[in-house]
Amino acid sequence: MLQKREKVLLLKTFQGRTLRIVREHYLRPSVPCNSPLCSQPTVCLNDGKLLSSDVTHYMIPDWKVVQDYFEILEFPELKGIIFMQTACQAVQHQRGRRQYNKLRNLLKDARHDCVPFANEFLQDCYLPREQGESMEKWQTRSIYSAAVWYYHHCQDRMPVIVVTEDEEAVQQYGSETEGVFVISFKNYLDNFWPDLKAAHELCDSILQSRRERENERQESHRKEYPEHLPLEVLEAGIKSGRYIQGILKVNKHRAQIEAFARLQGASSKDSGLVSDILIYGMKARNRSIHGDVVVVELLPKNEWKGRTSALCENDSDDKSSGESTSEPMPTGRVVGILQKNWRDYVVTFPSKEEVQSQGKNAQKILVTPWDYRIPKIRISTQQAEALQDFRVVVRIDSWESTSMYPNGHFVRVLGRIGDLEGEIATILVENSISVAPFSEAQMCEMPVNTPENPWKVSPEEERERKDLRKTHLVFSIDPKGCEDVDDTLSVRTLSNGNLELGVHIADVTHFVAPNSYSDIEARTRATTYYLADRRYDMLPSILSADLCSLLGGVDRYAVSVLWELDKTSYEIKKVWYGRTIIRSAYKLFYEAAQELLDGNFSVIDDIPEFRDLDEKSRQAKLEELVWAVRKLTDIARHVRAKRHGALELEGVEVRIQLDEKKNICDLIPKQPLEVHETVAECMILANHWVAKKIWESFPHQALLRQHPPPHQEFFSELRECAKAKGFFIDTRSNKTLADSLDNANDPSDPIVNRLLRSMATHAMSNALYFSTGSCAEEEFHHYGLALDKYTHFTSPIRRYSDIIVHRLLMAAISKDKKMESKENLFSNKDLEELCRHINNRNRAAQRSQKRSTELFQCMYFKDKDQETEDRCISDGVIYSMRTNGVLVFIPRFGIKGAAYLKNKDGLVISCGPDSHSEWKPGSLQRFQNKITSTTTGGESVTFHLFDHVTVRISVQASRCHSDTIRLEIISNKPYMIPDTELFHQSSLLLKSDLVKEVTRSVEEAQLAQEVKVNVIQEDCEKYCQTKGRSLYTLLEEIRDLALLDVSNSHGI
Amino acid sequence: MAGLELLSDQGYRVDGRRAGELRKIQARMGVFAQADGSAYIEQGNTKALAVVYGPHEIRGSRARALPDRALVNCQYSSATFSTGERKRRPHGDRKSCEMGLQLRQTFEAAILTQLHPRSQIDIYVQVLQADGGTYAACVNAATLAVLDAGVPMRDFVCACSAGFVDGTPLADLSHVEEAAGGPQLALALLPASGQIALLEMDARLHEDHLEQVLEAAARAARDVHALLDRVVRQHVREASVLLGD
Repeated sequence: MLQKREKVLLLKTFQGRTLRIVREHYLRPSVPCNSPLCSQPTVCLNDGKLLSSDVTHYMIPDWKVVQDYFEILEFPELKGIIFMQTACQAVQHQRGRRQYNKLRNLLKDARHDCVPFANEFLQDCYLPREQGESMEKWQTRSIYSAAVWYYHHCQDRMPVIVVTEDEEAVQQYGSETEGVFVISFKNYLDNFWPDLKAAHELCDSILQSRRERENERQESHRKEYPEHLPLEVLEAGIKSGRYIQGILKVNKHRAQIEAFARLQGASSKDSGLVSDILIYGMKARNRSIHGDVVVVELLPKNEWKGRTSALCENDSDDKSSGESTSEPMPTGRVVGILQKNWRDYVVTFPSKEEVQSQGKNAQKILVTPWDYRIPKIRISTQQAEALQDFRVVVRIDSWESTSMYPNGHFVRVLGRIGDLEGEIATILVENSISVAPFSEAQMCEMPVNTPENPWKVSPEEERERKDLRKTHLVFSIDPKGCEDVDDTLSVRTLSNGNLELGVHIADVTHFVAPNSYSDIEARTRATTYYLADRRYDMLPSILSADLCSLLGGVDRYAVSVLWELDKTSYEIKKVWYGRTIIRSAYKLFYEAAQELLDGNFSVIDDIPEFRDLDEKSRQAKLEELVWAVRKLTDIARHVRAKRHGALELEGVEVRIQLDEKKNICDLIPKQPLEVHETVAECMILANHWVAKKIWESFPHQALLRQHPPPHQEFFSELRECAKAKGFFIDTRSNKTLADSLDNANDPSDPIVNRLLRSMATHAMSNALYFSTGSCAEEEFHHYGLALDKYTHFTSPIRRYSDIIVHRLLMAAISKDKKMESKENLFSNKDLEELCRHINNRNRAAQRSQKRSTELFQCMYFKDKDQETEDRCISDGVIYSMRTNGVLVFIPRFGIKGAAYLKNKDGLVISCGPDSHSEWKPGSLQRFQNKITSTTTGGESVTFHLFDHVTVRISVQASRCHSDTIRLEIISNKPYMIPDTELFHQSSLLLKSDLVKEVTRSVEEAQLAQEVKVNVIQEDCEKYCQTKGRSLYTLLEEIRDLALLDVSNSHGI
Repeated sequence: MAGLELLSDQGYRVDGRRAGELRKIQARMGVFAQADGSAYIEQGNTKALAVVYGPHEIRGSRARALPDRALVNCQYSSATFSTGERKRRPHGDRKSCEMGLQLRQTFEAAILTQLHPRSQIDIYVQVLQADGGTYAACVNAATLAVLDAGVPMRDFVCACSAGFVDGTPLADLSHVEEAAGGPQLALALLPASGQIALLEMDARLHEDHLEQVLEAAARAARDVHALLDRVVRQHVREASVLLGD
């Protein structure tokens, strides 16, 4: 059946000898053609992705086109592309693994209309390379002959266009076969996609940058950087311990000088190094960019340097402040790059004046990336002037050793500088978040639920699922106004007297089939992104807000975990997992549930479910509900106590989340309600049991969540700070830490405790998803929750990891029933990769959320007059010391920032008798937990840790980067409202102030008033789905202010 | 070259085979007249020659004779020109000793040695070209040679190797696939009874995957058996035609 051919290769050995190698090459009578026009479907046996049938032609890119214009081929508008195996292999050999993997992913992506074709393994297509024929010529010939075969295979019904960059090929093959056209890529775009402007621009920009590169190669430059060592040398060096492998992390505040190589895995154990390796200066960094995997050679000890601990502003480029470095640490230089992690970068073109000063070569322009850590990028473009006021996306192409800066090309425009939408888009691109609206194909998969055609429980499902609609009282407790309810609870007494506790989670996997379009999209997004003013859903809203949301009074599918508990000891006797149908009876909100728990029944008027009942049945129903809520709380208390030695740790975990978005949480009532803990405890219980279940069923491919214990050395700062206030923090175990944090409470200043907790949070490592096959069982432990196994199961609407866990649980159930599992699970390797992706996306989500909040803070303070507006002056707490300044936390706005004690002119701060500060010449002296500023006149002022000071908040505008908040100490005394107990109240005041201001400015603006208000309300309704308990409303209002201002300045 | 993709997303291996497909096998029996039995086999580009003498009296020290069964003596060698780089391989080096021992174990399990007590059976195998799966080729060649010699056996011994790449077991590894350094399993099977004559594995493989790799190797060995069976029948038919004259 197979035909054997032989390929003779001549390879060069490492010693430089030529080696003749004979490899077999088997040809087969048929390979899948993946075309719907296939003339012999029984022979081709197509499975998987097919080309769509509504294209006008098939396009076959030449090997050269695939290599150079791959970014354009990625456009979803281009359809009917066939990638020949010959071309794919050329990419693999000449462009390396990174681009080849991109190509593979494109081919796998079901949304993209392109297929591979294994022409070299097909009898009728394979052409042996002839004597003396160059590789390139042979590749072109093979691709052309395969194209001809393909054309005939489809019964000559579909014209095939071979796109090539080779002029000779156009000449030679252009008119050889009717129906198979050979044209150049530029020609192809002009003829077939004249309207696809983005592709044309990209094509021009790629062409130009390539031409530049070729020119440059011809000119002989002097070397700016040493060459990288070849890969074999690097690998051998790493093995022998001569070189060290690490990930390059550039210091954001000193991007020009300081970078660190963070050691990876094995190399850190072998070399005995604990800390990172300092890479000092651009020369030593040798063309590596933030995030690259680099190979580092250590310098001799006498060349080691210390890291700088002074506060520093980024614009002072090379003025290294050498005086204030810490003790020397291992220092090295980069000798090679193992993996480049270049992504899309947002940049700003220089303004007109700067362009002129850049001088002679106007074609090439140095643009400044938004991210400080990325070096300037050289772009060849003629549109520089037109792009001046915009944020622009560019890609890096290459960085030769002869060039000071990397070369790149322009990709697309995001929006105007300073414009809200542009800045938000910038944040998204910088975090590699892509949130295109859901595609047509995806919406087609969605079930329908309209008033004319309401969605119903199907009879088949009714048969297979356990029906809890009649038997269980199910209710949900969520923040007020929440629309996507993914968890509900139930509790009841069984006939044998025992209790049954149930957690019911929305059955998202019922609607999202594995590898469907929605599944792929959800996997790419991995989580719902919450920015300060908006939300990007992981699933289309028909699912997230309607069919998957466990709303009150409607039938919904759920995945349930039911525990049978002993009636007195609440010990777990039995557990049941499975698919169910539920109807939630009440949709409570936290405050109402707490009132019920406290025995205050006046809230029942707020619960819509009670409204239409007569007094008697109302009373009965109420009693039933109150019993359930009380029982639930009781059970939660017991379960919590049983979690061995972790009584405060759940609190720590929640606080971590709060702390990370501190600015958002500032308005939350300080004392969390007990109901919060009850619900959280039930969810933790469900997560824990599901984790146990899937791990038992699939010990090597279950997705769990781990929280590694923190490194002790990271706690040193926390301990020092606590000592300053006279507290002792015991960090030996999670329990002692939690206890000592509870004790470290200064009755006169509650902020101290919050700051200490936030420091503890900083010292801890992040919780991560992982695949059980890639980790030893001891490492599964969740430090924060003190559980041996934990996973995420309870929010499948907004987290993709939960969807995976649901599928695993379903497979585990069918495995128990000895049924063949329908779902194909991920292997350990795939799951590991997926976990990495989800972890990455989660970090990106957190970062973008933080960034967008900062953006709004800046926009809020930007237009305030600092001198007159008293809101710009606030109370702050010093929480960390640096050599030339202090870090200050402002509780009222939740801002953390640096305040200088020594300004750029070398003047230091001094406070007169009225405690107002001035700048005077003098010197600073830093101690462990205080810093003293002495003027030449002999006056001195000392700042201690946790001192309250008055700061002025201003915004430092920046053209190329995001604006930053600046703090300036204007007095060493606390601000007018020293009673910090009041700050909570004051922030509430602030909120109402803001609301007033919004309305006032809306009135003043007189700009289509009603429309505006409507818009606000609509937005509110749209966005208030999930984050009920956040600063959300406040920021929404700030956003509105910002919008008004922008529209004003542009309108007039 | 770390970049070589052993199994593409479309399911093709480097040389165009799919995961379970064998290389082309060609074999001939009775290639030498002097020996009692001989055979030549090509599995892809791996070529091996096997020669069998015996059963005959014990040569050399009589003390080696076994009272209840025949002594199986196997020697393996590999030609200097068998690999890409010409390399002298002295007789009796570690690798060929080990291979000889493995062959001996394999054939002691297959030959009905108790029928020839106090005698000796010699099996000599030489690899002329090595392109992966040398053990399998040697066993297959030796089986044909033993059959050619008319030494009674329980069954054919059919061998095949299997590897494991990206969660998929690959049958009959070529040199390129072996050189990539993944796990590799060599299996010699008595196909009729499904008994395993020899199983060898180097490199580490997770226990969970062992079963499927073993299954792939066994299936490949059965395929090899079908081929060898055809070769033997063809040979016998030719011989009987000659005898019939």
